Amino acid sequence: MIVFWIAVGVMSAAVAGLILRRAARAAAGGGDADSTLPLYQRQLSEIEDLAERGLIAEDERRSAHAEAARRLLSAADAAGPAWTAAKTARPMIVALAVVAPVLALGLYLGIGSPGYRDQPYADRLDRWRAAPPTQLDAPQMAAVLRSVTSERPDDPEPYRFLAIAEMASGDPGAATRALREALRLAPDRADLWESLGEALMVTAEGEVTPQSAAAFQRALEKDPQAATARFHLARGRIEAGEVEAGLAEWRALLADLPAADPRRPVLQAAMADVANGPRQPSIAPETVGAPEIAAMVEGLAARLAAEPDDPEGWVRLVRSYAVLGDAARRDAALAQARARYADNPQILTQLAQAAAAEPM
Amino acid sequence: MIVEIGAFALILSLILSVLQTGASALARIRRSPVLAAVGEGAAIGAFGVLAVSFAALVYAFVVSDFSVANVTANSHTAKPLLYRIGGAWGSHEGSMLMWCLALTGFGALLAGYGRGLTSALKAVAVATQGALGIAFLAYTVFASNPFWRLSQPPVEGRSLNPLLQDPALLLHPPFLYVGYVGLSVVFSLAVAALVEGRADAAWARWIRPWTLAAWAGLTVGITLGAYWAYYELGWGGWWFWDPVENASFMPWLIATALLHSAVVTERRGALPGWTIFLALGGYTFSMLGAFLVRSGVLTSVHAFAVDPTRGVLLLTILGVTSGLGFALFAWRAPAMARGGLFAPISRESALVLNNILLAAATATVLLGTLYPLIREAIAGEAISVGPPFFHLTFTPLMFLLLILLPAGPLLAWKRADAGAALQRLWVAALLAAAAGAATLALVQPLSLFGAAGMALGVWLIVGSLTEVAERIRLFKVPGAEVLRRLGGLPRGTWGMTLAHAGLGVFVFGAVVETTWKSETSEVLAQGQRLSVAGYVLVLEDVAPVLGPNYEAEQATIRAFAPDGSLVCVAQPERRLYSAGGQTTSEVAICPRGLSHLYAVLGERRAAADGSPIWLITGYWNPWALLIFLGPGLMALGGVVSLTDRRLRLAAGRRATPSPAAPAQPVSEPA
Repeated sequence: MIVFWIAVGVMSAAVAGLILRRAARAAAGGGDADSTLPLYQRQLSEIEDLAERGLIAEDERRSAHAEAARRLLSAADAAGPAWTAAKTARPMIVALAVVAPVLALGLYLGIGSPGYRDQPYADRLDRWRAAPPTQLDAPQMAAVLRSVTSERPDDPEPYRFLAIAEMASGDPGAATRALREALRLAPDRADLWESLGEALMVTAEGEVTPQSAAAFQRALEKDPQAATARFHLARGRIEAGEVEAGLAEWRALLADLPAADPRRPVLQAAMADVANGPRQPSIAPETVGAPEIAAMVEGLAARLAAEPDDPEGWVRLVRSYAVLGDAARRDAALAQARARYADNPQILTQLAQAAAAEPM
Repeated sequence: MIVEIGAFALILSLILSVLQTGASALARIRRSPVLAAVGEGAAIGAFGVLAVSFAALVYAFVVSDFSVANVTANSHTAKPLLYRIGGAWGSHEGSMLMWCLALTGFGALLAGYGRGLTSALKAVAVATQGALGIAFLAYTVFASNPFWRLSQPPVEGRSLNPLLQDPALLLHPPFLYVGYVGLSVVFSLAVAALVEGRADAAWARWIRPWTLAAWAGLTVGITLGAYWAYYELGWGGWWFWDPVENASFMPWLIATALLHSAVVTERRGALPGWTIFLALGGYTFSMLGAFLVRSGVLTSVHAFAVDPTRGVLLLTILGVTSGLGFALFAWRAPAMARGGLFAPISRESALVLNNILLAAATATVLLGTLYPLIREAIAGEAISVGPPFFHLTFTPLMFLLLILLPAGPLLAWKRADAGAALQRLWVAALLAAAAGAATLALVQPLSLFGAAGMALGVWLIVGSLTEVAERIRLFKVPGAEVLRRLGGLPRGTWGMTLAHAGLGVFVFGAVVETTWKSETSEVLAQGQRLSVAGYVLVLEDVAPVLGPNYEAEQATIRAFAPDGSLVCVAQPERRLYSAGGQTTSEVAICPRGLSHLYAVLGERRAAADGSPIWLITGYWNPWALLIFLGPGLMALGGVVSLTDRRLRLAAGRRATPSPAAPAQPVSEPA
């Protein structure tokens, strides 16, 4: 606020000073003669100048000279009395110079937003990064993750989180871009290909397009058991009219899913929908926000608790806690993983790197 | 706090404009130089604080302060810095702020540098300029404030129309506004002349630098706009008779007419009423342009502000301002002294004819621009007046004007000998006829319009040079004398010659491009080719590229000349700006001398076997460069003329009498 008042003071003083200085100079300079005469005199001399350079003919010079001379004479006759600085109310001038900024300030206080600070994007981003992730909404989370990706351009994980946040903010296009970046860094990760397929699908309003089908295919190449990819590819076949083939694939998928898998009821409901009528299965695109990211990490932790023999999963869990800024859980997970893989120096290095990941 | 400092400075500028108008008007009534100085100080102060305000808005755009509503609506953090800065005047609010900045800037120049003016004329002009400032500043403060804040700033901005993210368009508004608003000073001086009942030779000379500056700014601004349309819209055209283009073209036509009629008033004291009329008309058309573009009354790329209240306010400003100006004209002009007489055949008459044709041309453009709006308002049906209308009305008028043009400068003042003037143009006539005949004989496909245009271009350029040759008496006096005369030519003459020859250059480009351009559109797979005007374009590859705020497909097209040699590798793009969901086309232009080979990447499709294919369009735009070079020369001519007055004053002071001539009277300093 103090900066604002200083600026207001400096501007007002500068303007008042400018007005008063010019007024004082005019008062000291006294009157002001009619300035038309010099101009006509100049016009006369220009005519002579052109004639001297041979650029106008003698008769043209003569007639132009005569006309300009006539104008000079009539202007001299017409010139009124010079202005004089005689009667000028000095206090009025000073009052005008002072009142103008005061009026401006009054009007500003009436219609402006006094005291409202600047909100440069960089400052807001710093605040979001300092805040606990659970307090951010999806677009803020996406903004934070975008800055994390630009700081760690070689790490696919922030890109994956960014994609989730972008999806949650309703921007599947941005999510697609983030996933493509992640895949450029980790082209062998089936889960990323699945996410890309889903993002492309949401862009196409739920339809399994050739592009999203291609992404799901890539996921299956990396991991033949990739459930999401299998689900959507089969759904695409059903939508394209190959209902039986699609249903068969769904049945195979259902058989492969463990009994406790939370996706089983969703799949069964979809199968029932198809079986019950011509209505196509409606799969609402999942919306995932910051709480969902936390939930996903919890899901990973739960899975590792059940099936702990997954070194890559542990690395990812440690990194997730690190990125989310949850130091206590990061250290707990790190300690558990270190104990489990104490004899595997390669995994220990990966764990150390994951734990060192900067929080967003 | 910087944003709020800008908001305060904007309001201070408005108050200072009120002070400027009040003090200057009172100064005129009480004949007080001290009050006049207060008005001038306020004028300079109003510009100074508005510059602070504008800088604050640019700052808000640079740091992406989305608590400012205008920044949110027109910017995005992914936008490159240059276009974030440009976003400051890419929006309605920001562009009105820039308009005000130009308005107060010209007011400050008038106050600070108008020393040659008589006190009374200057005081009234400064008061009028202040009143124009009040109207637009009040509009900006109360109806279109660029500093309005949002209590809940969103995370991201909503970006700027990607079509407008372009270097030419970054510079287009500033130049255009210098032109539009430069005419405000001419308007103010015209009002002052009416109030003082004095529009003499001296007045005509005072308005010249302002008219020239505004005219040159408009010329550059319009050319940049046309160039942008040429390479950004990807339609191969450069002028569409779009109402928005017409909106900037009408003030230009009026300013051109004014430049010429002011010469008559300056040299002979004649036509004062008409010159004042044009001076009032110039800024009226500028404001009409602002209304058309800014009110959203037209639906086109430029009209981003669709808000009827603003339209009504702008229309009110236009009506009140120019209404008062013309009412004053109707009241005072009949009493004005008429100047020198002249014969029907004379330089004056030629300039009058120039004015009649330019005024008629302006009227046709005005009709073509407003008729669809009036029709829509009354009959409720939307029609569009397109190029055919203008080709039938505007083009013949211009042809006539351009045919007569070279004769004008060769005619003497007062009474001229038309035969003698035409006799001096025989070389130009001969060359023009030869050019026309050669075009008819040699260029396929045959085009009478094309041949006439070639002849006209030669006629204009050689005709303009003829005038210089006459003045330096080329081939008539010894070489040393010719050089002496050449060195002595006033800059004004050079400016005129450049402008007239530039017009010829433009005619070459415009006629050749419109007559002989060719276009081929084909759907190509990788490795396939199309041919246009003998050139072969081979689509090598289409690859995705990632820009700072867009994704694009970039084609690599090899262009081969008719003789099989590689001309260039063109890389047109098709960009998707995800923040706004718009797609734009980035044209690739291969210059071939004066001509352009122009390639556009269209949308991707799927061939029968599912493989991707693309719509590729190739244009051959012969002599297209001249379309933009010609107006560039014209604007340069304006700038050269602008330097004339001052330099001639200096020369007058330094004049050393030559032995052959009598001593010169040394001119008075201004």
